[in-house]
Amino acid sequence: MRSGSGMGVHRRIAFALTFAVVATTRVFASLSHFPDAMFHDGMEGAAAGPFTDADAARFIAQATFGATTADIAHLRQIGYTAWLNEQFAAMPSTEVSYLDWVRTGGQDYINDDARLEIWAANAAGTGDPSRSGFPANARNDQLRQRVAFALSEIFVVSNSNGTLAYEPWCLASYDELLADDAFVNYRTLLEDVTRHPAMGIFLSSIQNMKADAAANTHPDQNYAREVMQLFSVGLVQLNLDGTPSAGDAPTYSQATVEGFAAVFTGWDWDDPRCQDAYENCGPSTDDDPIWRLPMQPVDAFHDDTSDKQLLNYTGVALAGGLLAHGGNTQTELTQALDNVFHHPNVGPFVATRLIRRLVTSNPTPAYVSRVATIFNDDRSAQHVRGNLRAVVQAILLDPEARYGQWQNPTVFGKLREPIVKLVHLWRSMNATSVSGRVNGLTPYPPIEEQIGEAPLRSPTVFNFFVPNYQQSGEVLSRGLFSPEFQILTDSLAVATPNLLYHQVFCNYTGSEDCYGSDDDGTLQIAAPADASLAMSNPSALIDKYNLLFMSGQMSPFMKSILLNRLNAITDGNRGASTGTFRVQHALYLILNSPEYSVQK
Amino acid sequence: MHVNRREFLRKSICAALGGASLYSALGNLRLVQAATNQTLFSDYKALVCIFLYGGNDSLNTLVPTSGIPLTNYKSLRGGLAQTTGLHALTPLAGGGASDSANYALHPGMPELATLFNSGKAAVVANVGTLLYPTSQLQFQNGSIAVPPQLLSHNDQQSQWQTSRPDDASANGWGGRVADLLHSGNSGQIPMSVSVSGTNLFQRGSIVNQYGVDPSGVTAMNYLGDGSETWIIGDGPIDDDVTAYNALIASGTQSNVLERAFADVNSRAITNYQLVTAALQSAPTLTTQFPNTDLGNQLAMVAKLISVRSALGMSRQVFFVSTGNYDTHSDQIENQQDNLSELSQAVSAFYNATTEPALNVANNVTTFTASDFGRSLQANSSGTDHGWGGHHFVVGGAVRGQRFYGTMPSLASNKNPDDTGYGQIIPTLAVDQYAATLATWFGVASGDLATVFPNLGRFSSANLGFV
Repeated sequence: MRSGSGMGVHRRIAFALTFAVVATTRVFASLSHFPDAMFHDGMEGAAAGPFTDADAARFIAQATFGATTADIAHLRQIGYTAWLNEQFAAMPSTEVSYLDWVRTGGQDYINDDARLEIWAANAAGTGDPSRSGFPANARNDQLRQRVAFALSEIFVVSNSNGTLAYEPWCLASYDELLADDAFVNYRTLLEDVTRHPAMGIFLSSIQNMKADAAANTHPDQNYAREVMQLFSVGLVQLNLDGTPSAGDAPTYSQATVEGFAAVFTGWDWDDPRCQDAYENCGPSTDDDPIWRLPMQPVDAFHDDTSDKQLLNYTGVALAGGLLAHGGNTQTELTQALDNVFHHPNVGPFVATRLIRRLVTSNPTPAYVSRVATIFNDDRSAQHVRGNLRAVVQAILLDPEARYGQWQNPTVFGKLREPIVKLVHLWRSMNATSVSGRVNGLTPYPPIEEQIGEAPLRSPTVFNFFVPNYQQSGEVLSRGLFSPEFQILTDSLAVATPNLLYHQVFCNYTGSEDCYGSDDDGTLQIAAPADASLAMSNPSALIDKYNLLFMSGQMSPFMKSILLNRLNAITDGNRGASTGTFRVQHALYLILNSPEYSVQK
Repeated sequence: MHVNRREFLRKSICAALGGASLYSALGNLRLVQAATNQTLFSDYKALVCIFLYGGNDSLNTLVPTSGIPLTNYKSLRGGLAQTTGLHALTPLAGGGASDSANYALHPGMPELATLFNSGKAAVVANVGTLLYPTSQLQFQNGSIAVPPQLLSHNDQQSQWQTSRPDDASANGWGGRVADLLHSGNSGQIPMSVSVSGTNLFQRGSIVNQYGVDPSGVTAMNYLGDGSETWIIGDGPIDDDVTAYNALIASGTQSNVLERAFADVNSRAITNYQLVTAALQSAPTLTTQFPNTDLGNQLAMVAKLISVRSALGMSRQVFFVSTGNYDTHSDQIENQQDNLSELSQAVSAFYNATTEPALNVANNVTTFTASDFGRSLQANSSGTDHGWGGHHFVVGGAVRGQRFYGTMPSLASNKNPDDTGYGQIIPTLAVDQYAATLATWFGVASGDLATVFPNLGRFSSANLGFV
């Protein structure tokens, strides 16, 4: 265990007492709705620590799909920096081999649900049955999986597309791309995303035709617009701290969109036949490797005659942002993506989005500025721009990430996404399935209709929710942002608790309670393992879950509510499984409580 | 009774504004004032917004079949042009298109053509987001303010839904209308109901939107009234309800996002209980709705209208939507699917309103909205983002079988309506389209400027289509 350093114990206690006084003045009822104050405030330096199990659990909540008891112990043993280095080095989990395995196992028709199964298994760390060593073969790449999921909500492709809906190998490969590229350079990620056939199909850049005067047609502008608006620079010029520049000056015009549209012509499947057939070539089967291979240039179909207006900004390499004609498909793509990459907006744009996905909906401009600064220059000897590994580290080890819950307790945090809640439950409660498959994600109606989201299933390129969504009421009137609230509709405010209810009350070790509870592919949570604790010491059970699910932030008020509820469940209720029933009620109430639902 | 309702209303306004900044409270003062003076409505009216997400290519939805417009259209759209299987529109004398050409609807829309030709539907031409009436010269020399972020999906969706391109934090115009009129309802559920998720159109300061699923209202298992409640035991589960309600009790949480989360949850529970109870008395409708996304949504709207008395609702704003209109590629196939779905669903919905069990054909007005129209010029298999577009209004109160507004030129060269980049400059503002609907719905002329602050910049506040 690490020992605290940097700040004397008495000083920390003094600070905590100050905080407690402030908190007390806001207490309405006899029991506080604020979490108990803790004995340090961040003056140690954010990268130091964790100093408590709660600190460790909180860091893990931001960096992964949720804590396990073992994760917390390991992080406390090695510290934040070493843990991050372990995660950066971890071998990525895979998805494609799982689809092959399912087919080899005799399931001929494989839809996108199978892709979702292996995504969930990787996120929850339940092991991959397509590789040797199952079930104990999960690659411990939790940070990578969590960041890849965040990236999938920025660089959006989706099975809502009529073609991709039936191409799980293509989408699995895109998931793998995001995991592989989670810690590379943003420029590499941008080109990999641009050339992946899933993106080519989703935003119709594959087989894009150059202008044809006789037919009165122009190149498709779909990818050209969205790559700027949603993946890189956004609509208005930004300051380093992510705030709009004076006057909301636009970053690009329609001429820029037309310029990029002309650049993105001449890209096609990685199949030699496409060199001649262009728009009349493509994969033959759903597991054809070209679903997963980067698109290749077909120069004969590239617009090589027009000059192209690209982004124009202070310090732009091309004079006036104008790309003179003469390049080929690949060289023009390279120049165009370089032109995007070096726009000063990219740092604050990416910083704001990733902070919102991982840490808080309302970062201070100073926090954004610190992360954007690292995006612009990672402070290595090479002064690399766009180093995502350094960006992720900067986001998680920023003082605001580590101590924002004390600095601004009434605003700090983000609504936990419903799919993250579900995976958190599986992960923290050591869920397993006999076969390694994950039936729970593939019911009817589709999971995204029950909880509002699922990976690579957004209704549009604008993701399930937009980053600047403001919930009506206090959030809006205070000028705050609350992206995840956009999918918290009245329907889903009922449907999501009901889905969690089913998982908690039906699918636990040994259960035969509901249809499908005991299927080989059902992920069962290890609720009975905590049953005896729930009977002998329900308060200790609540403390345990407070740490695993709420990073020790449960208020005294909420603890009392839970304890009362558990104490009211007595032997008469469920006989031998009464302890498990207590565990289930504790889990359900936590997962659907306002205090847990906002990750702070 | 009336005094008590006002008392209740003031309390609910205070609750809605609790925690709101002073600025926002003052900003809404006029709406609040007007709302508290509203008497109960004696009749029923509903507005139904059908939002076509992605930006419908209305130039291929409503196509010319005669004269120069036809010649221009064929050379403009080439292989993408719709020239066969069209459904002719036969407007009343004096109600034809402004360019005097004949027009027809897309091959997928026979039902909507029938509604038009029987006087139950009208075309409103070239509507779009505007700050001021804008000429080509003004647009091109930048001498007049135009909406920010033209051609961006989400921004243009927002601006259509707020009719306030100049205010990024504005509520939706449906929400503003509801804020103004909701106290004319005796019932307790929100005036704004969405069957298609959260939307900006219905966001108000006082009235929240209530969301239901096309499949119906889902109840919470843990609270003892859901379909899987049996798993934890039969009958009411008092301890569970007590614990859950304590956790989500309004206003008790320490963090603003926690309070917002708790508010959504408690409101959702209250509303589903009210709606579930009312739906017990829903009559069976004979109209067969198409089993499509939009068909199912509009079937749910019809069902909710059928229990309007049980819910105590005399004014309602509904929101339904469908997507996949962003037809950059494969437009021929995609638009066929989209427009068939739209036409069939709208037709079924109109028919349902005429059933004796509803009998509200003249009390329900349905209208389309979309991000934007699409580019004049096509790409190899689709169209790109545009600006102005044509829209439809449907219902017994509609002065149908007529075209409203001005048809844009479809010329490929020197097009006087073209921005210069292939988008049509709108000749009617969303404000005018919306104000016409709001006036029919019951917004008094004196309140129009409150709801639509930019309306006075345009020549007409009422387009006369309803």
